[in-house]
Amino acid sequence: MKTFLIYILLSSFLLSTGTMVANSSLKTNFKTGDPAITSINSMTFGPEGILFLGDSKSAQIVAIDLSQHPKVDNSKVKVDRLDIVIADMLGTKTDQIQITDMIVNPENQNIYLSVMHSSGKAILFRVENNTLKQVPLNNVSFSKTTLMDPVSEEAKDRRGRKLRKWAVADIKYADGKVLLSGLSNKEFASTFRSIDFPFSKKQKYGSLEIYHAAHGKYETHAPIKTFITTKINGNSHLIAGYTCTPLVVFPMDQIKPGEHNKGRTVAELGSGNSPVDIIEIGSGDTHFLLIANNNRPLMKLDFKDLEAYNGSLTEPVTKKGAAEGVYYVNLPFVNVQQLDKLDESNFLIVQRESNGNLALKTGSNWWIK
Amino acid sequence: MKNLINIIILLICSIPEILAQVSPDFTYDQNQVILHVNTNDINNFKVYTGFITEDTLQEAIPILGELTKQKKQLHFEPLVPFTHKQQYTLVYKNIFEHFIIDTTSKNYNSLSVVAVYPSSKTIPANILKWYIKFSHPVNEALIYNHIGFKNNSGNSVNRAILPLENALISDDGKLLTVWIEPGRQKRGLNPNKKLGGVFEIGGSYNLIISKKLKDQIGISMSKDYVHSFQVTEPDRTKPDINSWQVICPKAITSSNLIINCKETLDYGSSLSNLTIIRNGNEIEGSWQLTNKETSLVFTPDQPWKKGDYQILFYPQLEDLAGNNLERLFDQEIHKTAHNKTNPVSYYNTDFSIQ
Repeated sequence: MKTFLIYILLSSFLLSTGTMVANSSLKTNFKTGDPAITSINSMTFGPEGILFLGDSKSAQIVAIDLSQHPKVDNSKVKVDRLDIVIADMLGTKTDQIQITDMIVNPENQNIYLSVMHSSGKAILFRVENNTLKQVPLNNVSFSKTTLMDPVSEEAKDRRGRKLRKWAVADIKYADGKVLLSGLSNKEFASTFRSIDFPFSKKQKYGSLEIYHAAHGKYETHAPIKTFITTKINGNSHLIAGYTCTPLVVFPMDQIKPGEHNKGRTVAELGSGNSPVDIIEIGSGDTHFLLIANNNRPLMKLDFKDLEAYNGSLTEPVTKKGAAEGVYYVNLPFVNVQQLDKLDESNFLIVQRESNGNLALKTGSNWWIK
Repeated sequence: MKNLINIIILLICSIPEILAQVSPDFTYDQNQVILHVNTNDINNFKVYTGFITEDTLQEAIPILGELTKQKKQLHFEPLVPFTHKQQYTLVYKNIFEHFIIDTTSKNYNSLSVVAVYPSSKTIPANILKWYIKFSHPVNEALIYNHIGFKNNSGNSVNRAILPLENALISDDGKLLTVWIEPGRQKRGLNPNKKLGGVFEIGGSYNLIISKKLKDQIGISMSKDYVHSFQVTEPDRTKPDINSWQVICPKAITSSNLIINCKETLDYGSSLSNLTIIRNGNEIEGSWQLTNKETSLVFTPDQPWKKGDYQILFYPQLEDLAGNNLERLFDQEIHKTAHNKTNPVSYYNTDFSIQ
């Protein structure tokens, strides 16, 4: 009888929790089914276990409820031969796959990897006890919105297919908005978008023009490769890493649709390099930006230095390979292909090690103490 | 004699095991494996990548896919199609069967490059985009690693291509957009100041698409694709539609309308940024970019009628250097920064059909 009562109480609790989730204001317009995801360019987590993913092939942003995945401890996660494991699980070869992104749910430490197979299929994996489990995407609780410009009609070819392609470079959630950067196959433009969430049919949709004005007299509508939103000296800012290496900050309250927004270049990350991921980690006196790069080691930039730097780099760095602006240090992690924050003091990387092994692992938190 | 008897006894004892090991019939293709066994024991049927034996089974991970019982067979459909020339192992209970997928026929045409744009043999030094059209859908995983430029001395041009993580590829998987490193092509930027533009004026170059590039089913190109070109002065002027020549067809014909543009246009942005209207209605038909991408050719679906027409050119139409009808790629900051100007919806050229 006692057991029965406990069961009843537990069931009531679970039911009420479930109801609470279903009634979440963020998920009220979610429905269960197949969001028809055909590519995963980039991912981010919002509140309540909502995963946002940028799907350029279907020109959509999809929000998926992944709150059902249990809280896990991935502080000692290590998956070796990651590319080979994925290829084996898909019955293919490593040159037929590409890991397009890695993301951690900050609420429960679950790690997700998105993979593109040469057949064009996108697959989502979750790390479970150092193994990979597929997360089926054909029957999920979701909401989605289009990436197509709703104002002007997009050009189509003779079969009615949209001609514009838009690769999502990075996606983040901040204060009820999904922010995206990307590059079109048509124009070289710094297209940065802000979409209200929850998504609605009457979408308030901002396409923002952002450029950094460093280096002489020519404006730079360069696309943002990776970015975060954060507070600098108490005010909301966007920190953007550009493909042509500058690190640029924009006050969020000055970013308005239809206006040119000039950023302040605070650092050069070295030529011949492109940032891969930026994260913010730690707090108070141990508060850093970590930046993974395709042709430089993992960089650590102290927030105190960033907040103290009021200048803007306006002249080219003349010394080859040199970096200027806010001081940063190179950490001994090279060939970091994916980077995310695991918790306040630990970060997670996918790294091609010197022996060729592609490893999913944590970086030592000694470096950010 | 005693040994012989022992061997015979051993063989007799092994008969049930040998019978049990008889391989069940199975068939396979790129999208499925069918095991012809009438059983509900569905969980003992798995497919693995590679040559798996009883010794290595413990470490192997089964291929993801869907397992179903259909009539008197078990069906396995992998999550993604099996890969060409890849070895697989079927495991059913304690039986191991190995097979290799060969998706090609004798007449299989390997992946090839059908065209590159611009196709012209001379291009401006500040070219911004190339387009590569393939014969069939291409494997887009890390595709930009297979494309590069070499100069006349055979040396690779470093930092020539923008390293995009996600390929910009058309819906049919055949047309790839390749961005030349804009940081080097745009004046005043750090990479441009330190490294200069990607291409030297007067230089000869080869665009090379490596034969290592595979199609979607995993079959490589048969040979490298090489496209040679010469580099001329940078183009720092906007396309001027007023200088373009329109050659009008005659009424009651379906002849082409031809616009000679006097310069090579960008393949990706040109055809989607123009249209012909008459009395406010769009004329249905198809556009082509011909004559080394210097001519726009329109073929109407219906014969032309007498009257006045307008060709609308949208501002995003670009030349090879990324200059569009509205602005230069290398726009000077003081002319645009913080200056709110009303964007032009379109530019137009009028013509009459007689």
